[in-house]
Amino acid sequence: MSTFNEHRTTADRSANDRARHKKKIERAIRDGVIDVVSEESIIGQDGKKRIRIPVKGLREWQFVYGDNEGTKRVGSSPGNDIKRGQVIGRSDGQQQPGAGAGNSAGDEFYEVEVSLEELAEYLFDSLALPDLEKKKFRTVETKSTRRHGLRSKGIPPRLDKRESAIRRIRRMVATKKEDKTDSAETFPFHEDDLRYHHIKQCPKESTSAVIFLMMDVSGSMTTDIKFLARSFYFLVYQFIHRKYDNVKIMFIGHTTEAFETDEDSFFKRGSSGGTHLSSAPELALEIIDEHFHPSSWNIYAFHCSDGDNWENDNAKAAEMYRRLCQISQLVGYVEIKPESEAVKWLKESSMMSIMSNIGKPMKAVLVTKALDIWPAFSKFFGGENE
Amino acid sequence: MSDVLKELTRWDETICQVARGHKLDWFDIAYETVSYFDMLGAMAYHGLPSHYPHWSRGKAFELMHIGYNAGVEGLPYELIINSSPSIAYLMVENPLPLQVLVMAHCVGHSDFFKNNRTFAGTRPETAISRFRNARNRVQSYIEDPSIGIEAVEEVIDACRALSYQIDRRGRRRPNEKELLRSYSERVRDGDESLPDDFNLDKVPLEPEYDVFKFISEQSKTSPAWRSDLIAIIREESLYFMPQIRTKIMNEGWACFWHYRIMNEMDLPDSLHIPFIKNHNAVVRPTGSTINPYHVGFETFKHIEQKFGLDECFLARETMNDESFIRQYIDFELAEKFNFFSFSRKGKKDSSFISVDDIIDDDDGWSKVKEAFIKQIGGNSIPTIYVDDTVDNTLVLRHEHDGRDIDLNYADKCVEKIKRLWGGPVKLLTVIENESFEVS
Repeated sequence: MSTFNEHRTTADRSANDRARHKKKIERAIRDGVIDVVSEESIIGQDGKKRIRIPVKGLREWQFVYGDNEGTKRVGSSPGNDIKRGQVIGRSDGQQQPGAGAGNSAGDEFYEVEVSLEELAEYLFDSLALPDLEKKKFRTVETKSTRRHGLRSKGIPPRLDKRESAIRRIRRMVATKKEDKTDSAETFPFHEDDLRYHHIKQCPKESTSAVIFLMMDVSGSMTTDIKFLARSFYFLVYQFIHRKYDNVKIMFIGHTTEAFETDEDSFFKRGSSGGTHLSSAPELALEIIDEHFHPSSWNIYAFHCSDGDNWENDNAKAAEMYRRLCQISQLVGYVEIKPESEAVKWLKESSMMSIMSNIGKPMKAVLVTKALDIWPAFSKFFGGENE
Repeated sequence: MSDVLKELTRWDETICQVARGHKLDWFDIAYETVSYFDMLGAMAYHGLPSHYPHWSRGKAFELMHIGYNAGVEGLPYELIINSSPSIAYLMVENPLPLQVLVMAHCVGHSDFFKNNRTFAGTRPETAISRFRNARNRVQSYIEDPSIGIEAVEEVIDACRALSYQIDRRGRRRPNEKELLRSYSERVRDGDESLPDDFNLDKVPLEPEYDVFKFISEQSKTSPAWRSDLIAIIREESLYFMPQIRTKIMNEGWACFWHYRIMNEMDLPDSLHIPFIKNHNAVVRPTGSTINPYHVGFETFKHIEQKFGLDECFLARETMNDESFIRQYIDFELAEKFNFFSFSRKGKKDSSFISVDDIIDDDDGWSKVKEAFIKQIGGNSIPTIYVDDTVDNTLVLRHEHDGRDIDLNYADKCVEKIKRLWGGPVKLLTVIENESFEVS
């Protein structure tokens, strides 16, 4: 005997499992971001640029056969036109007419296309980083003025012509009621008609920021290191960009001497030669002096280095950094040592301890692999206690 | 009862009458009418009214939903599970002719579940409650603050990497104690078939295909909840394995019977024509894949023509896909199916897929058949067994049959199994004709 039953939806059954799945995707996107930033020039791009992020880790891993000559599959053709050796599919996924064959079914494709803006949203909004969002930024304050009501006394430039004219007309109408004969006569402004704007001074937070991205480009900086630096700078730019209306980025590369450059050559160009870490903050200070007055610009400076510095420069570097710290919101020193190297040498260079001793707003972190980028970032922008 | 349900009940009575006339013998069927959304929900859980939660079900739901909205996939037709009574779903969005077709189809499936030998150990009477219990236990581990979702997911993910690594034929293997006893006796009696250096300390003494069971029994550090999760996923593999092993037969049998029942019901044209359309859409060849509805339906038809209906019933009772194909698909039928085998060749970036063999002579058919057998009845899942344990290392071996496993996937699986085993794991296999070790 069959029975029939109208199924009434009481709950969205798969809601929890869908939420878990979504969470996994988001985590995968976050992890994938690090890969993406290494390939494209995106740090200073406008937020509308769209990028594709390969999302990893969402496959259900099971033992499967490889897709190669040893693994033959069988089909059943609706027509009669199959020949031995006939090509029915290519690696680019293009299918040949005939059998209607192609890539095997079940190729799960996870690639998410997002704009940089969305990416930043993803990074900073949907992830559990409450400290990051709540943290109050130290910001430069400038004085600005704004109108605040009317006064009967004031200086001519602040005269409110419209309001004064209205008062004159009002007085004119009122007088005419009593004396109708004088209508042809002129009716001059009286001092009582005049109204002046009242000006109030109020403090205003500057919405401009300049970020100095400094990097050692000497011979010891390998592609791996630059890749990590770039990933980190991407996050920095995106985050600061969200906080200020107007953000300028200055790329400073240096060996023993510092030079201003653009994003592309910043990451691609390699130079040979020694290293003077002090040269970069020195140049930054010069540029600040000329273009970015600390009273109206929020200054951020980050320096990525492999930690190798000529010893006779250490004292000078520390001094330059101290000076930079006095006028900056945040100064970051990122020492990047790929894992293999970090094992060979002492993990932290002497620069690391020098930088750590400078004190606020200087923060120094060590990065050895892509996975360290995010914690490093949180350390810079996270709560004060970190 | 609503008018719709009344109408379905009337049709069901006719279907049952015709089916009984043919001596079909099925479990009672409990039909649930569901919306499209609930149908996808049910499908994500393989139709089980309760099933342990896992993110992959959310993924399955999303993929189906996206696929349907993008027009890649049609509306799901039928979903019935191996239980007594059999629970089946009817999607309310489907028109009446399709509902009647699905109901006739379900009778065929339920008859197959009840009578096919492969399903003998699946205990359909208690299936629903077993899965409900499992779900409740998994849920309790998730809610337990000392365990939590992350830990539960890690174990389930690892277990799912071992999905279907059970003895697929459902044979009973003597346990290690029994093996030790029998081998000790053979060594003592000087059995010459054993190698001289036969090592009685080896664990396991014979290949253990039930990897779940082995890990669960041998890993000493495992807390109870973890062993329970392993048991739950193993149970799931055992429950679904017979369906994997009989996919073609099961669908073929259901199509064979819905076709016959519908034709014998004397339907008015307004129902008969849509039925024929739906039927033809289901049982057509799909090119680069094997459509089990198509192959199963045509093969049963072929058996009936050649050997009579009784032979069909005999096959339904005693066969599984592998034996069914070996036994009944002959050259003539294979030619009609227009089978061909194909594979990917060349390097990664410039690879192409080309046809290897076609049904033009006996040799062609025997080659295609070999490839065909390898991709059905669970043979498309590589077989992994426990070969040895050296110190604390679990040594797994892939039963290589000419096909190399995907190393990327194997790497990830071995990583996951390490967590489950609680120690080093290595997998021995063959890649491009050379032994290879994944660890």
